[in-house]
Formats: sequence, structure tokens, C-alpha cells
Amino acid sequence: MANLRVAVDVGGTFTDVCIFDDETQSMRVTKVPSTPHDPMEAVMSGVRRAEVNLADVSLFSHGTTVATNALITRRFPKAAMVTTRGFRDAIEIGDGTKDDLWDAYNDVSGPYIRRRDRFEVTERTDYAGNIITELDETEARQLAALLRKRGVTTVAVCFLNSYANPANEIRMREILEEELPDTAISASAEILPEIFEHDRFNTTVSNAVLAPLVTGYVDRLATELKAGGYAGDLLLLHSGGGSMTPRMVKRYPVRLAASGIAAGAIAAKHVAAQCGFENAVGLDMGGTSTDICLVSGGELRITKEWQVEYGHPIVFPSIEVLTIGAGGGSLAHLDIAGSLRNGPQSAGAAPGPACYNTGGEAPTNCDANVAMNRLGTTLAGGARELDRSLSLEAIDRVIGKPLGMSTEQAAHAIVQVANANMADAVRLVSIRRGYDPRDFALIAFGGAGALHGAEVARELSIPTVVVPANPGVTSALGCLLVDIRHDLSLMYNAPANQVDPKDVEAEFAALEKEATARLRHEGVADEDAMLQREISMRYAGQWRSLAVPMGQGPGALQQAVQTFHQQHEKEFAFSQEDQPVEIYQLGLSAIGKTPKPGFVPATELTADPGAPASRREVYFGADGWVDTPVYERSLLPAGATFEGPAIIDQLDSTTVVPPHTTAEIDGWGNIRIHLHNLENSSEG
Amino acid sequence: MTQIIQTPAVRSSGPALDPVTFEVLKNAFATSVDLMSEQILRTCYSFVIYSRDFSSALCDAAGNTVMQGSGDIAVHVGTLHFQCKAVLEQFGTDIHDGDVFAINDPYRGGTHFNDVSFIRPIFSGGEIIGFAQNKGHWADIGGNVPGSFDVNASEHFGEGLRITPVRVYSKHVFLHDVAQLLVSNTRAPEQAMGDLHAQSEATAVCEREILRLVEKYGKDTVVTAMQETQDYVERIVLRQLEDLPRGTWETTDYLDVDPGKGEGLVPIKIKLTLDGTGIHYDLSESAPAVATFLNSGYGTSHSAIYAGTKTFFPEVPLNSGFYAAVQAEIGEEGSVVNAGWPHAVTGFCSGPYEKIMNGIFELWSQIMPERAMACAFNLEYLLVGGRDARTSEENYFMWYDWMAGGWGGRSSKDGSSATAPVFGPGLAVQPVEGQERLSPVLTTKHEIAIDSAGPGRFRGGLGIEKGGMLTDAHSTVMSYCCDRSRSITWGIEGGLPSIPHGVWLNQGTEDERFLGSIFSSVPIQPGDVFTRPSAGGGGFGDPLERTPEEVLEDIIDGYVSIDRAAADYGVVIEEVDAELDDYRILAEDTEALRTQIRASRRGWLEEDAEAVAARYREGTVDMLDVIRRHGVILHWGTGELLENSTTQYRQLMQRRSAAHWDA
Repeated sequence: MANLRVAVDVGGTFTDVCIFDDETQSMRVTKVPSTPHDPMEAVMSGVRRAEVNLADVSLFSHGTTVATNALITRRFPKAAMVTTRGFRDAIEIGDGTKDDLWDAYNDVSGPYIRRRDRFEVTERTDYAGNIITELDETEARQLAALLRKRGVTTVAVCFLNSYANPANEIRMREILEEELPDTAISASAEILPEIFEHDRFNTTVSNAVLAPLVTGYVDRLATELKAGGYAGDLLLLHSGGGSMTPRMVKRYPVRLAASGIAAGAIAAKHVAAQCGFENAVGLDMGGTSTDICLVSGGELRITKEWQVEYGHPIVFPSIEVLTIGAGGGSLAHLDIAGSLRNGPQSAGAAPGPACYNTGGEAPTNCDANVAMNRLGTTLAGGARELDRSLSLEAIDRVIGKPLGMSTEQAAHAIVQVANANMADAVRLVSIRRGYDPRDFALIAFGGAGALHGAEVARELSIPTVVVPANPGVTSALGCLLVDIRHDLSLMYNAPANQVDPKDVEAEFAALEKEATARLRHEGVADEDAMLQREISMRYAGQWRSLAVPMGQGPGALQQAVQTFHQQHEKEFAFSQEDQPVEIYQLGLSAIGKTPKPGFVPATELTADPGAPASRREVYFGADGWVDTPVYERSLLPAGATFEGPAIIDQLDSTTVVPPHTTAEIDGWGNIRIHLHNLENSSEG
Repeated sequence: MTQIIQTPAVRSSGPALDPVTFEVLKNAFATSVDLMSEQILRTCYSFVIYSRDFSSALCDAAGNTVMQGSGDIAVHVGTLHFQCKAVLEQFGTDIHDGDVFAINDPYRGGTHFNDVSFIRPIFSGGEIIGFAQNKGHWADIGGNVPGSFDVNASEHFGEGLRITPVRVYSKHVFLHDVAQLLVSNTRAPEQAMGDLHAQSEATAVCEREILRLVEKYGKDTVVTAMQETQDYVERIVLRQLEDLPRGTWETTDYLDVDPGKGEGLVPIKIKLTLDGTGIHYDLSESAPAVATFLNSGYGTSHSAIYAGTKTFFPEVPLNSGFYAAVQAEIGEEGSVVNAGWPHAVTGFCSGPYEKIMNGIFELWSQIMPERAMACAFNLEYLLVGGRDARTSEENYFMWYDWMAGGWGGRSSKDGSSATAPVFGPGLAVQPVEGQERLSPVLTTKHEIAIDSAGPGRFRGGLGIEKGGMLTDAHSTVMSYCCDRSRSITWGIEGGLPSIPHGVWLNQGTEDERFLGSIFSSVPIQPGDVFTRPSAGGGGFGDPLERTPEEVLEDIIDGYVSIDRAAADYGVVIEEVDAELDDYRILAEDTEALRTQIRASRRGWLEEDAEAVAARYREGTVDMLDVIRRHGVILHWGTGELLENSTTQYRQLMQRRSAAHWDA
């Protein structure tokens, strides 16, 4: 019988397979090396390694980097873009800006489809949706013949103002479908009917270049799983924090472009909810970078300003994640003015931190943690031995001696700078939204998150840190927890006090009809379907809009306008209730609830942590070297409570519980670290 | 009672803070400034601000800049401390907690009237420890023309509202009357009031962050870190200078014309000296102020110098430590680079600003060849304003448009195509779909312009062609703020010029008119079509040394035509099947043509200019040959020879191009 839920998260180095057994209510995790040449190999070998019989699986979900990698490496099939005469360079001109404002040799990368593969046809629609020039069908068919001659396998059709009236664009798509039946066609108004040609065109072009590859991958995997006995739908995690079946991936492959990043954020949200926190910051610190996400009011922040590479926007809603170059492998160095810096350069896997003894000579955060004995010299249960003397030597040579510091002071300084950089990044994502980090909990995970979490929290005056049960594989857990989700939108430019609320209601109803059809296409039963309305508004004259929830019925619009004023006040510290408000866009999220694992907390709690596995001297800055117990996490009972300092070791991570904190293992197996004396806390 | 902490007269020799506290506070200052920018972007009303024409800074108690925003527009660099000091000079001890000041005065170190700064003192323990400042480009600031870019202005009175330092909040109380006076002098008072609020509130975000730091680290530590952050930057620059040669380098770039003096390019002379103690510029030999609004005040000339130099020190944070390492002598008031009251200066951005920047690029290209870059296209603004007849209200509309263009060729790669102007590489061009909603102008094309790049071993980046047609409108006029129709975007190290700027009305019809690169209030009617290119970048290195394969790739992408491949690069290419990108390089013909060009090109540059002009008028030589081969400058509409400009331009080409050719 089908009692297993399986989630597979493919990362750059490892593919994690997370299995939840409904019968025993237990979760286990298997890690296998990723296989970048064909990610499916690792997926299937991970499933075999975990000894999962696919016939026992009730739900198989998957977070994949296939789309992201294709966009980065630009291994695309023969693709073409068809656009309005005079506008074939919209995706090359973009908005003209440089990402690096000062380095004149650091250019924005070129468009996903080169100029030679972009073609124009005679047609034109104006801003109001009037067709000024009908599509020249003779030209359109000649162009189709040219595309056939060139061997094009996927086409993006992007006409100016098609968001206002898609008729010409749809006609072009039909002609291409007639003339080129085996070619994938993405029409911009169908992919994303939103104003601004560069954003819409580039999203459509991204969709087109990904279509054959991503669809092919997903189909192959689905077939393989089916052959193995899996009877359900393969669920693919998408950037918006939901999932899709292969049927919808075919139409919107670009939505998988941030599949990998979304999983960690969803897991952070889940852990926060489990612990009763409405507001939380997720700190997912890996080897080269840290992903930061924000949960507020129980929801993840969503953004439409997103891209894999600068200058190539993908404007589908995506979970807002800020990635900074601070990881376990980030290099500490002195710049030419003699100032201590940390990252963003990283030692990566090669040459690696100095203590790996694989050729790395520069000190990393990992080395600093080893030098302070926060990190032991045996990693991953003995899979890797670290050479502490190499860490000490590197820190001394690069930082300690030049700055006249002892080795441990230098190690501590390195970690402090890394922590402050992470805290600055958290401030950017929280404060810019009007949130005070002190109202949040910090969910620390990833390979290195639990090493730094408590000190980052102190830097931010966050009172509680939560380290989930398996911090190294938390992202895979996120894959287990997603619903099917589609995000639809419609441009709607009108002053809020002049529109007929009935008209707005009718537009929402039309969106809901389309959304319901999509969910049914995915096989979602009506009772599992949930629709959420959203309306984006702004003060007349403003350029950005703010999305607020929208209800149903006669008073809904008026209520939304009130919510808009309040939200504007909260996020930007001012509102202008006497100013006219303008509606900009209607949005709808269609959610198909999938059954979730029924996590059950332990009921038997034991306060005594038991005897530590060992003790060692650990360096804690102002507190100096402190004799510190080292616990083995798997031996700590639920309910265990103890004062810092302590080190907690486990297979995939090490947790530092600094002095002046209390650690507690909760019923779910999370470590909660409560920080004391937050006010007078200038650490160091 | 307030006390102003003065900058120590003698800088401390070494840092007093421990390295961790210093690094943490330096980064926190950057965050506090970026938070301001973040907020302004989300709340602004001016579409110019929205397109990223704004900046934010944290200044110390003496008004020196501690940190400027990482995404700030280049053109504001090095002006924010002048504005802050102007407030300090004006109000002295009469500055209080909860005050906010406005200023836009270009004669007090500001940029132009549209750029309005809001400055909030940050108090701790009853004394000022710093200032938070946000400067943004308002869509309109009054004056003779919508958008406040009056090309014909020669004095500032018609340009717009001059805001000398003035309080808009006093001790947390909003001064409605003052704010109302300011915004009532603009064409869109409600929008201006929106920006006034948005900018004032943004400065509070920075204040909050700095006060948090004070609470955590103590006032003295934060104040010390503000000084050390400046010292740090100065130290970095001086340290980098130790590895560079010493000496003096000179160049001249030109504005097109001073209408008060008749035909002839207007020189801006730049001398650079590196002597081990710093970076010294001398601009004092530049021409007198011109009779248009293309003049710079001292603030913007300094900004151009800092921004141009910073391009060669991309990693260095921007603050007054940088300004301490870079000294400039800009000469007596009354020149084109130090115009002074009441000369019109709003067009500085299309005038001296980028000339100084590009000249500085050229000088540093010799010092740091690995960062070398030829001249970039010129910043340009096209304004079409009138009554919008699409609705019965017939509201006033303003189609205010600027373009991306090509940057100069570099020592290891081609120039960057379709890129924002060097005066602000973060200044976004507007989406056509947005413009068409707002104004009765239908864009007919927005595309990369073939052959617009200056040829070179590494060609310039490509420029763009943008065309528009006026639809349902009346009482409509068009104005243009640009330059380099005559002082054409140049190449270096043997590279060639790109193309001239300038607007064409009804091109290719009987009514065709070339309106030039600067004009004001030309009436236009529905159905009129106007078009203009942005120039490509100048070329780097001898175009005859570009490989035929690279030229072929450009032909496949439509960046270079087959004809110009032959004329500019001496590469002969035959089309086999264009539908399959199939072309053939004719190697022998290429060799022969290159030999012929080598033998002739010095002579072409000395051919009788009037004879060249005559051939242009009769249609036997095209514009690109007139420029790139003969170095001749004409009125591109009539074909009339501009003799003085030609003499000057030929000298320039001899020095930048011909002197570097092997043969």
C-alpha cells in the first residue's frame, strides 16, 4: 500500500531524498552525489539507495535546478523570437542599465535569443488594444517557412501591447502551429499578460528556450517513476512556492527557474509554523552563499522582480530570497587598505578551506570555526577529517599577524564580520518592508547555518533561534510540503473610486474560471481547490504598486483600498488617505491542496540532556576559552534543556549554543536557542 | 543648543577602531544608505526618479560624505556633500532634531534644478552626528518649458525654481506653507508633494539605522567610524597610486558649438597629473560659458571628475575620502566648466559633464591600458509636449524620452551596446508600452542601429534608433537636449568615430528636416514622424586589424552591413544564403582592399573638405565616409561645410586615430 511520501531536492553537490512514512510517522533522509550531466540519474539512484519501492509511494515531489542551470549555462535548443516590426531588439536593449555601475569591463550578459534568431512581422496594436495594423498573414507564413528551414524547435511570439489585446499574437501562434506542428510555441499574452515589453518578452523568451529541455526532463522522469510503479502525479516545485504537474510544466516551464531556492524557504516557513512563530527569518547558509527569506504573518514574501542573470527578468511571482556571498567557504582577507573583509569570494569545493588539506591556503569561515573548536575535526560522521593546524596557520598568516591579533582573536574576528554581513542582509530584507527583526525568530539551517545562527540572532536582537532536526537537508523537507499552485494576473488600470465594483468582480470571476480549469487539468478535486484574490494598487502618480488581499462581494474593493492605505503606512512610514488610489493589476492564486505529512510531536519530554559525548575548550570572544560539553544530537531527548555554552554534533551539521543562552529540544526535534541579555549585547 | 563636530584638521595616522567594529560599521553605513534608496524606489512619484535618477548619502557632522548609495546615479556623485555643507553654512547652529531641509541650488554645488535634495540632521545626545540625504530628479520644477529643460535658456531665471537651503520640517512639524510654495512652482504640484514626502521619509530610514548603531556601539565609536570610513577610502586610492606611473597627461574634448560665437567646436581641456600625493586635474584652460544651457556649475564639474576617475577604481566606496584624494582646479567662474550664477546650467549633463568623463577615460586608458575605453555616446533627452486629444479633458502631456546607446571599444573587447549613458549607468530607459499609455506618441521603432558602432580592432558598442509618430494631439512642440552632432563620438588608439547625434523630422519624405542635436519648441503636427539615433561607441584600435571572422559574426547579427564591412574594415564578404546565415569571406579580396585602404587613408583625411561636402550634397559620398574617412563635419541636413569644426575634428582624428595606424 502507498504509505510513503518522497521528496527529492537536487542541489549543486548533493541530491537529497527525503522520505516520510505515514504509517510510522517517521522521516529519513538519503544523500547521493548530484549528476549534473543528467540530474535524473541521481534522483533514481537516490530512490534506489533509500530502498524505496515506488509502488509504495503516494506522493512524489521534486525540486529541480534543471531550468536554472540551463539558463546559466545557456545550453538551449534552436530557438527563435517573432515580434512586431521595429521591436526585435527589446530583449537586447532591455532597460539599458548595467548591474555593475562602475566597472566598465563588467557587462550585462547578452539576451537568451541572439539577434540573428529574432524576426519581425508587420502588425501593430495600440495601447488601448485597437489593432492599427492587422497581422500580415502572407508574411507570417513566409516567416514560418524560414523558421522551418532554419530548424527552429521552439518559438517565442512577442507582440507589442498584446497584453491589451492578444488577437494578433494569437493569430501568429495559430499560423506557426499550423505550419510547424512539432515546434513549441510560447505567446507572451498567454504566458504572462502584463504591461512592459521587456519584462513580458523576456519571460516569454525564457519560457521558450526552456520548453523542450524542461518538458523532456520532466516527461522522462515521470515515465521512469511510472515504470517503477508510482501511480500518482509527479509534482514539480516552482518558483512561487507551489508545485505543478508535468501537464502544466509543458506550458510554463519558466516557472521552474527558481525551483531549487524555493524549497528551503518553504521548509523555513514550515518549521516556523511548527514552533508557533508567525514571523521568521530563514537563514540557509551553505558552502558558498546564504539564502535569506522572510516569513511574515505565516506567509513567505513573494516578489515579481526576479532573474537568474541581471538584465533578464522573469516576472512570474517568486518567493523572495536574498542570496549573499557568505558561506562556510567564504574567504577572509585583508584588502589593500589593510581592512578585514569576509567573502564574497569562496574557496568552494576546490581548493576548499585550509583545514581540508586539499590545497586551500586562505582562511575561510570554516577554518575560523575549526580554530575556535566550534567545529570538530571530524565531519559527516567520519567522512572527512579536518586538519586544525592548517586552519591555525592560515588564520595566523593572513589575518592574525598583520593585525597583531592572537590566532583565536583573529578567528573570532573573521566570524564576527561574516555574522555582521549576514545580519546586514537580514536587515535589508526586513527593515525595507517595515518589519523589526526583533519580532522574528531565526530559522537556521543549511550546512553552516547552525554554526552561526545564534550569533547572527544576537547581532539582530532576535530572541529565539530554531535549528530544525536535519539542518543539512531541510530543503528536501520543503519539497514534501507544497501544494499545487498557479498564479494568474490581469492588468486593470483604473482609479479605484471610479470603477464599478461589479466590473472588478466580473474580471475576478473570469480569472477564477481559468484558474479552476487549470486545477482540474492538474487533477485537483474541487473540494481541495482554494482561490485567493489579490489586488495591486498605488497612489495616482506613483510608479510601484502594492498588492493587498481582496475579498468578495460589494464592499470588497472599498475594504481593499483601506488595507492599501494601512499597508503603505506600515511599509513606507507614510500614507495619503486624501489622495486618489489607482488599481493596477488583479491577481489570483489557485491552490490545490495536497495531503501533508502528519508530523506528530513527541509527548514524552525529558529535561535532562544526559551526559555529553565529550568536552572541549571552545573560544567565545569576550568569554574567552570555555570548557564546553559536546552533545550528540541523536542522543538528546525531546524536552532536554541546558544552558550554553554547548556544541551539538550531528551527521549533517554542527550547532553552536553560545554562552548566555538556553537550549531546548522541542517535541518536533528542533533545537530552540533562547538568547539572554539581548539589550546590552555588544558582543566581542 | 547644537554643536557641530568639526572634521579633525589633521587626519589620524592610523585607525583607532578595532578591525571588526570598523568593518561592521562601514558595512552598516552602506546598508543604511541602501535602505533609503530602496524605499525611494518604491514610493516615488517622479518617473525620472523611478528610472533611478536619484541618490542617497550619509554625511558626517561637517557635511562630508561618509557613504553614498551603491546604486546611485553617477551624475550625483560628489555633489551631495556640497549640498549638505550649504545647509550647514546657511543655518549654522539653527539646526534641530526633526528638521528636514530642501535644496536644489546648482550654484551651491547642486546638479540642476530638477534634482532636489532632502537633508535630515541626525542628533544624538543633543548634538548633530551626521546627516541623511536623498536627492531625486523631479519630473518638473517649473520654468519656461515642461520638464524644465529649456534649451534656449542662457540664464537660470527661466529654467525653474531655485531652492536655496530651506526648511520643510521644523522640529518634527511639517511646514505646509513652505512645502506648498515649493510644489506650486511646478507643473504637477501633487506629484511634487508626493516626492517631497517620499524623499523626506526615506531620510528617516537612514536616521533610524544610525541611531540604532549609536545605541549599540556608542556615539563616539560611530562618529569615529564615520571619519575612518573616509580615511579608509583615501588610503585605498593612495595605495593604488603607488603602483602607477607619475607624470602629466592632457587631452581636449569638445562641445558642438557656442551659438554666441558662431560655428566651431568648444574646447574642454583636461590635464591630469599623478605625483604620488594624489590625483590632480586642471580644467582651467577650458572655453568660456556658452550661450546655451550646456554649462556646468562647479558641483557637476567635480562630479564628472570623480565619476570619471572612479571608473578606473571600481571597487572603491564613494565618499569624501575619495574626494580628498582627487583634487581639481576648475579655474575662474564664467567658464563652461565653472559657469556660476546666473548662467543656465540645466543641460550640463549633455554638455561638459560627459565630455569631462570621456576625456578622463581617455587619459586613464594610457595609465591603465587594461581598463582602456574609447568615447561613449552622448546623453540625450527628447521632449514632446502638448495637449492629449485622446480624451475630452485634453490634458497636458509630456513625452520625455532618453535612450541607451553604445559605449567605447576596449583594449580586450568590443564596447557595450545599448547601454545607459555614462552619466548614469543605472538610468533605465522607459518601456514603450508604458509611454504609449501616457502620451499620444506611437513608437515606430526601437531597435539597434546598424553600422552605428565606431569601427576598430574592438569596435564600439552599438547605438539605437528610436522613431515616433504624433497621433491625437494638438498645440504640440518638440525640444531636444543633446550634443555630439559635430563633436562626434571618437575612437582611440587608431579606432574610428561612430555616428552623429541629431533628430530628423519626416526622414525620407519631401518634408525631411534635420533638426540637429539641440533645439527648442519646434511645432509638430499629428502624423509627423521623428526619429533619432543614439551614437555607438568609438572604436578602439585599427579596424583593419579586426579579424574577418569577427566582422562576419557582426554581419550575421545585422550589427554591420556588408557595405560597411568593406568600407570600414576592408573585409569583403559574399552572401551565400542569408536565410541560413551563410556568408563567405573572400580572403584575397580582403587582403587587396586592406592594402588599398592602408595606402589611401592618410590622404582621405587631408582631402579638400569643401569638395567632400559637395559630393555629400550631390549624393556621391555617404555620411559615414564623410566622417570616418575624411573627418569632415557638415550640417547633416543641408550638407553645408562647417569649416572650423572640420579643422578641429581633423586634428582630433589625427591624434586619436591616424597617429596609431601602422601605415
